[in-house]
Formats: sequence, C-alpha cells, structure tokens
Amino acid sequence: MRVEIIDVLKRFGKKTALNIPSWKLEDGEIVGLVGSNGAGKTTFLRLVLDLLHPENGRVEIDGISVSRSAAWKASTGSYLDESFLIGFLSISEYLKFVGAVFGLKNGTTERALEQYRSFLPSRSDDVSGKLVRELSTGNGKKVGIVAAMFIRPDLLILDEPFANLDPPSQIRLKQNILRLARENGTTMIISSHDLGHVTEICSRITLLDDGHIIRDEKTSSETLSELQSYFAS
Amino acid sequence: MTPTRGFDTYRLLLRNQWKTTKRSSKTKQSPFIWLVLGAMVCYVGFTLFVLGYHFERFAIVFFPGSIPVLVVNQYLLAGFLSLFFIRFLFQQTPRMKLTPYLHLPLLKRDLVVFFQASSLISVHNVYPMLFFVPFWLRYVLPGHEPVAAWLWIISIMGLIGASHFGNLVLRSILRWRAAYFYPLIVLLIVITILDETSGYGMTRTLSGFMFGQILSANMVSFTLTMSIFLAFGVWSSVLLLKTLRRPVITVPETAIVRKPRTVPARFGVTGQLFYLELLLMWRNRRPRHYLILSLVFSTMYLVIMMATELAYGGFIFDGLIGLFASGGFVLNYGQLMFSWDSTHFDGLISRNITFRQIIRAKLLLLQASCLILFLLSLPLFIWLKPELLAVHVAFLLYNAGITTVLVMELATRNSQSVDISQSGSFFNYEGFSSKHWLWFIPTALPPTLFMIAVQNHLFAGLILLASLGFVNLICTELWTNYFSRGLSLRKYEIAQGFRNNAR
Repeated sequence: MRVEIIDVLKRFGKKTALNIPSWKLEDGEIVGLVGSNGAGKTTFLRLVLDLLHPENGRVEIDGISVSRSAAWKASTGSYLDESFLIGFLSISEYLKFVGAVFGLKNGTTERALEQYRSFLPSRSDDVSGKLVRELSTGNGKKVGIVAAMFIRPDLLILDEPFANLDPPSQIRLKQNILRLARENGTTMIISSHDLGHVTEICSRITLLDDGHIIRDEKTSSETLSELQSYFAS
Repeated sequence: MTPTRGFDTYRLLLRNQWKTTKRSSKTKQSPFIWLVLGAMVCYVGFTLFVLGYHFERFAIVFFPGSIPVLVVNQYLLAGFLSLFFIRFLFQQTPRMKLTPYLHLPLLKRDLVVFFQASSLISVHNVYPMLFFVPFWLRYVLPGHEPVAAWLWIISIMGLIGASHFGNLVLRSILRWRAAYFYPLIVLLIVITILDETSGYGMTRTLSGFMFGQILSANMVSFTLTMSIFLAFGVWSSVLLLKTLRRPVITVPETAIVRKPRTVPARFGVTGQLFYLELLLMWRNRRPRHYLILSLVFSTMYLVIMMATELAYGGFIFDGLIGLFASGGFVLNYGQLMFSWDSTHFDGLISRNITFRQIIRAKLLLLQASCLILFLLSLPLFIWLKPELLAVHVAFLLYNAGITTVLVMELATRNSQSVDISQSGSFFNYEGFSSKHWLWFIPTALPPTLFMIAVQNHLFAGLILLASLGFVNLICTELWTNYFSRGLSLRKYEIAQGFRNNAR
C-alpha cells in the first residue's frame, strides 16, 4: 500500500504539532520514524490512521484520502497504545474479536496465531484466562502488536513497539516484522526511540524534530552512527 | 527527613484542593451548561426555601390541622433515610483524592482528617439546610426556648453529618463485601413497607418523640443524636485509614476467564460488537451497576410506586412509570454509550469496523433491553395496576423507537471518558460530569409533559405515543445512517476528548 502525506498541518491550540509539506511511502517499504519526545511521531501515526483531523492538507492511502473512505481499514493493522486493547476481554477473546472484524473464522485466527505463540505471553507467565487489563505493560503490548500483525495486513503501523519489551521479546518481534515483510510484502511505519532496532529493520528513516521532517533517506551502514551523533548533540 | 504535620499539611492540601477545583473539567463546562445548572440550582434553592418558610401552607394539604413543627419532627428520620438513598447513589468518597499523597512524607492520620473534614463541603449537606434554616427561623425559634431551638437545629446538622459519614461507612463496607448490597436493600424496603402498612408508624413515633424531647431541651436526646454523628465520623475515618493500608483503589476489577467467550464469525461484525457490549456490561463494575439500577427501577421501584396510593400521583407518575419500566436501561446506560468505550475507542475506530456497524449494534442492544424490561415488569403491572397496562405497552414502543434515538443523539455528542476498568467504590460516580446528569432532562421530560397534555384523552394520546414509537422503530435503518454520519463527523472530537480525559 502507498501512503502519501500532502501539505499536512496539525495544531494543538497555538502549538504546531506537525507541519509536513510532502512525504511518500511506497508499496512494501518499511520506514522508521524517529525523533525526540514531542517531535510529532504519534501525531504523525494518528493522522495516517485518521484518528486526528489536520487543520490543512490530507493523508492518502493508495491515492484515496483516509478521511473520505475507510476502505484502507480492511487491510491495515495498527497498534499505538493501550487504547487499542479491549481490557475486559481475555487474550484469546481479544485476538478472536480482532480476527472476526477482519472476517477471519475462529479456526483461521487460531492457525494465523500459531507463528506468534513464542512472542505472545505464555502460560508460564500465568496469563492464561486473565483479562487483558490485568497484564503487565509489556505483555499487554505484545498482545496489541500481535493483533495488528496476525491478520497479515498490507499496511502495518506500530508506535514504539520495542519499548517495555524484554530483550528476547524484542528479538522475536524483529524476526516477526521481517518475516511479515518478506512473506506478505507489508508496507510498514514503525516509530521508535531504539535506534539500533529501527535501523536494523527499516529500509528508510524519517527523522522528525518539532513537527518537521528534517531528514528522510534510505538506511545505510552509517545511518545508526549518524543518528546517534544527531541525538547526542 | 521528618514528615510534614498538622496545620502545615492542611495548608498544603488546602492549596492543592483549591487548584484541583479551579482546574477541574467540571468547572470548565460550556456557558450553556452553567446556565442550565444555575437555573436548576436557583429553582431548587428557591423551592426549598419557600417550602421551609411557608411550611403551614403545604402542611394543610397533606396534614390538615397539624402543627408544622410536630409534622416535621415526625418525618425527620424517614426524610433522612430517603436523603441517605440519594447520597448513596451520588455522593463521592474522599478516598480517590488521597491516592496522590500516599507516597509523600505526610502523616496518613492528617490526610484522613483533612479529607474527611473537607468532604463535608458537599451539595448533599447544603440543600437540606435550605429547607431547615428558614423553617427553624419561622416556626422553631419564635415558639420555643432559645436553648432548645438551638439544640434542635444543631441536632439537624448532626443528623446531616451522621448521614454523610454513615454513607461513607456503608460504601467502605460494600467495597469489601459488595454482595451485602442486595440483602440490605431488600431489608430496607421490607422494613419501610411493614412500618407503613402495619399502622404503628414506628419511625414516625420515634422521630417525633426524639425531636420533641430535644425541643424540651432534653440533653439525653441531643447527646444521642450527636453521638450518632461522632460515631459515624470516627468509624468512617478508621475505615478510610484501614483502606489506605490495604489499597485496592487502583486495581482493576479482576476476573478469570476459564472458557473464552466468542461469537461465531457468521453473526458478522454487528454480532461481535453486540456481544462485546454484553461482556463490557458484565465484566465491568460501573456499567454493571447501571444494569442493576435499571432492574431495580423496573421492578422494586415500580412496586413502591404502584403499591402505595400515597406515592402514586397521577398522570406525571404514569409517564414516569411507563418511561422507566421498559426504558430504565436506555436512560441509565444509553446516555454514556460511547463513554463506556472511551478506553478502547481509538482501537475500535481504526479497525475494520464501520460506524454503521457500531451504531447498529448499540441501537439493537438498547431496543432489546426495552423488550426484556417490558417482559420483566409485565407481571407487576398485571398484579398491581392492570389499568396501566396500556401505558406500559405504549411506552415500550415509545422507548424502543424514540427514547433510544434521543439517547443516541446525546451519546454521539459526548466526549467525556469513563474509566470502566477501575473498580472504585460501590456506586462510585468518579469521572462523571454534571453534563451526564443534565442529559436526563431532554430524554425524560417530553413524555412526562405529553402525559399531562393528553390526560383528558388518555387512550388517544397513548395510541399516538405508541404509533410515533412504532414508526421510529421501523425507521431504525434511517436512524443508523443518520447517527453513523454524525459519529463519523464528530469522531476526532470524541476521540480527542476521551484521550484528554483519560490523562
């Protein structure tokens, strides 16, 4: 899926949260969104998901404005924060609910989840039968990320997916993201503060600062050190 | 480091409380809300003042030939019991306000003393005085010894305080043992009915005797009343202190799901959403309380309204009975339809779910609730007031067709979040604004006024009411489209409101 931001301006009160004249993401590309706290990363993702309305401009997915048509939702998986979880369902109920709204039968959902078993909170974590809201922050995040991925979306949007995860889970998440991209050709926008992970999995890095894109280029062997020097300064 | 103590703590807390009140979302309502609230406060205040100052004019109607002071003395205990019920539903506890201070080097005892004392500044303690002070000035002070008159008004204040702290005690107990609520409410209703129907009027006799004694400057009765106030004050403070040592306030309500509950995919997204709404009600305390309240309104409340001729009061009551018997759930739960989803609203609207599916599932739930409550309360109508059966049937169609639509119109304009995951205390209304309660007016007032307007042609009026409801009911698809468009237009505002309120 192609994503395009055209002349978007988003303000909260008098503060300009995001001002992007033009930004494009091609089919199958994986872009890493980096920037300091308050740079506008989450606002960026919310605008793409049509959760915020820009004062000016528009976001298009496959050439259609996201606020005009909701067709993009049928092939988009996303997880930004805990507001994407339904706390009063158990893990299994929640994932089956998500599967059902994407038209998957329970059996298909079960099969699709198989490859995420090692990433999901396991029985040894004593989470079997617990409600989602009772899970730790990290385990809740794993459930949300899997819900966004197992439906095999054409567009995947994740906000800070590596934060709050233990090291083995971070490694498994990277593997899962790369497998989904390889097998499904999914286009992805992943925001992260973890420069190591994001430069490892993303083919392109967009750097935001105070609501503006100040750098947008393909990932190279120098990208990580350049980003580290930028944030160190 | 030594903890801050006594007056230093109180000064610090007082400053913070002032800032909290000033910056609260409740004080940042729109001018319209303030205007409506102000008008209501003036109206209620004026009514209570007039009722107190000119009590003999009202006493003539209900208690001809009686002396105002004797009448009030007799009904004081019963009156306070009724007010206690209102408190139980609406009064907030100070417990939630303490939480941010618990990790600081402040003495827990000081915190409890401050928040217990400041909790007394509540509308529930002010409005009874709007009646009692003018009544006291007009009827008690002139006709009695000054000492006795002062003892009387101080006792009244003591009873208001006792009722305040008694409510906090009850809430603390119910928080640990929520199941006690049901036998307690049944016991209270049975005692009230027995007391009224047995002819002894025990509550009236006791109340009349106790306050009569106080007006004779009897210090035993006065001390007894004030002891109740002190006892409840100390008891609720001790319970609050205990709660702070065993904090459960921020722990979400827990449940173990042994067998996952899912709906087969063939029921479609609407079926999934309908079932999600049922689970939301069942697994979260606040929406579940609304469900219980609706059942209480549709059954026990109806029994009281219809069984006693004194409580039954003509066409307005016919309208209210009809409205609540089948529409109790719609009016209680429905007005917060999207607020219940506030914690997962972003997830809901960014997934492959259309607004039509969301609205259809919610309307279906509200309409189904009307039918279920209608059937539940039907035997009560047949048993107690068969002449109101036509009202019951007409209001079933009205509620299912029109009340649901009115409530949905309001719900799609509400961006106030409700954190359903926090258990809070029993019947805790933390997070609710005055707007939530104001919404009751446009939904409950029209049918009540309608019943007054058509009282001389009741049957024709009921047919009109039922027909309007039926036509609206068969237009459900049109309403679904209308609300979907509205929700689609206001989704940004609603979602942003939920996010801001959640912080």
